[in-house]
Amino acid sequence: MIAALRWFVFALAAIALNFPVLVTLSTSFKSARELSGNPGLWVNAPTLENYMTVFHVSDRLNIFLYLFNSLAVATLGTVLAVVLALPAAYAIARGKFGERTLLPLIVNLRAVPLIIFAIPLYMMFQWLALLDTRLGLGLILAIVNLPLALVILVNAIRDLPAELEEAALMDGASRTQILLKVVAPLCRPAIVTSLIFGFITAWNEFLFGLMLTTSKAVPVTVGASFFFAASGGGVQWGVASAVMMVGALPPMLLGLVMYRQISGSMTAGAVKG
Amino acid sequence: MGTISLNKAGKRYGAVEIIRDLDLEIADGEFVVIVGPSGCGKSTLLRMIAGLEETTSGQIAIDGRDVTAASPVDRQLAMVFQSYALYPHMTVRENMGFGLKLAKVPAATARAKIEAAAATLKLTPLLDRYPKELSGGQRQRVAIGRAIVREPVGFLFDEPLSNLDAALRVDMRLEIAKLHRTLGATMIYVTHDQVEAMTLADRIVVMKDGRIMQQGSPRDLYEKPANLFVAQFIGSPKMNLLACRRRDGEQLDLSGEGNLALSMPGAAAPEQVGARPEHLSLVAPEAGHCRGVIEASEYLGGNMSVFVRAGRLGLINVSAPADTPFRVGEAVGVHIDPARASLFDSLGAAIGARQ
Repeated sequence: MIAALRWFVFALAAIALNFPVLVTLSTSFKSARELSGNPGLWVNAPTLENYMTVFHVSDRLNIFLYLFNSLAVATLGTVLAVVLALPAAYAIARGKFGERTLLPLIVNLRAVPLIIFAIPLYMMFQWLALLDTRLGLGLILAIVNLPLALVILVNAIRDLPAELEEAALMDGASRTQILLKVVAPLCRPAIVTSLIFGFITAWNEFLFGLMLTTSKAVPVTVGASFFFAASGGGVQWGVASAVMMVGALPPMLLGLVMYRQISGSMTAGAVKG
Repeated sequence: MGTISLNKAGKRYGAVEIIRDLDLEIADGEFVVIVGPSGCGKSTLLRMIAGLEETTSGQIAIDGRDVTAASPVDRQLAMVFQSYALYPHMTVRENMGFGLKLAKVPAATARAKIEAAAATLKLTPLLDRYPKELSGGQRQRVAIGRAIVREPVGFLFDEPLSNLDAALRVDMRLEIAKLHRTLGATMIYVTHDQVEAMTLADRIVVMKDGRIMQQGSPRDLYEKPANLFVAQFIGSPKMNLLACRRRDGEQLDLSGEGNLALSMPGAAAPEQVGARPEHLSLVAPEAGHCRGVIEASEYLGGNMSVFVRAGRLGLINVSAPADTPFRVGEAVGVHIDPARASLFDSLGAAIGARQ
């Protein structure tokens, strides 16, 4: 009885919290005609018509290109950020200057509204011929991701027992070897966390995608907006919902698959206990 | 070879001096135990020798080579940490082989060395396990194994047994002693446990406030402490300290309820007599050097620890035979064996003991 009640409350909360997602999901399966008469969650005559429209490649719209662009820029923007952040985090965590001065400065950078960077960036990208390139968008996403990755990794490294590094020093390891062979493997959960959060942030990023790309490097967030009024004459809600579902699926799947990697400590058995 | 010598070595953090002008000569193959209360600088000293802490003044030499500014690996020493510090993401085999891999030792040679060390430490069946799958004692053996495979000129142990339970500690202590006999390598061992120090050391170095208070064989330190600090630190239960005054040329007067003066010829004027519990005996009240009333007694199996309240002398701990006829509440005399007592002057230095 109690168990049933618990599940009921749980289901209620889950539905309430995910209501927008559920509405989008149900809308994506409704035909334009049904949409005008049936605003509810229930779909009377489910149709894949909207998805067909989304996956139909035309001169103007190419969902596959947008998905590929998003995948490419999010991967670059995440991996590069973590690759840069790991040695930086190690230096910051183990040095007084970095901890007191560098870390607050870098983290504060994240607090500044990104639009501030828009105009100088546009000009720089124009000059460097990075406008509307996946490389350009990937680079700027790496910068966006860097502060969070840094904070996550600094905390992880700070929690590593110092004796481990001293043991490695006694074993004859250089700083670089300690970083690569001792610190990095032990920070794996933090690295995976940074990668997941970074990927999701980069995938969902809209502002720089809108500003810095026009056709070749358009990510799915910007590309999705192209579908809203694909055939003119007002927003096609069904198509818009379908494209949003398609765009939202990859980061959701990633989160589900990688979730197990986030939790769990790597240092069990390192020191006493 | 593995001689280690410190010449006026010092360490300071800003204005705080942790180690002051410390001289220490360690012979090849010697087992030196550095002991002292927490905060005395013993671990810092070990880390300076290891190269993990910078030496801010003076010199450290290994086999005659000045290594004061050398990196840890150049010193060819191996260290065993209190917390084991095993790499959790590597198996026992990889943990032990990490240093060899970094030194680019050929795989076959490394394998042979790891297996030999594992056999010595009874780790062979555990070679492919991860540290988290091992017990505390096994982890500590892996940490020792990691030190052995590198064939260092000396081993440094930083309180290696502190995290083990009492029974295991005794076993590991014996294993470390055996290891020292087998390898014949120089070992420096830091501990705050004076029992470990007494049982393992060829030579004990007692430290306090960054200075060496006394060094010598366990027997020397126990029987002839150079000062009050060493007298109180070495030995369990502690040495009794009894205030005294020289009455005339040959005799010391204990400022208690004594009726017999202690025969102690000499010119010096000691302020305190130090006597270990086992060098005291319970006698009839009028026959002792001082007297008092038994306040408590603890039955320890082989013997009895008897606490005598002796007026201004305070509480005296006497080790009595287990079948002692004296009971709590009874008035007794305490007899001091003058040949085994130590005398201390007003500054706490031992009179007549060698430094």
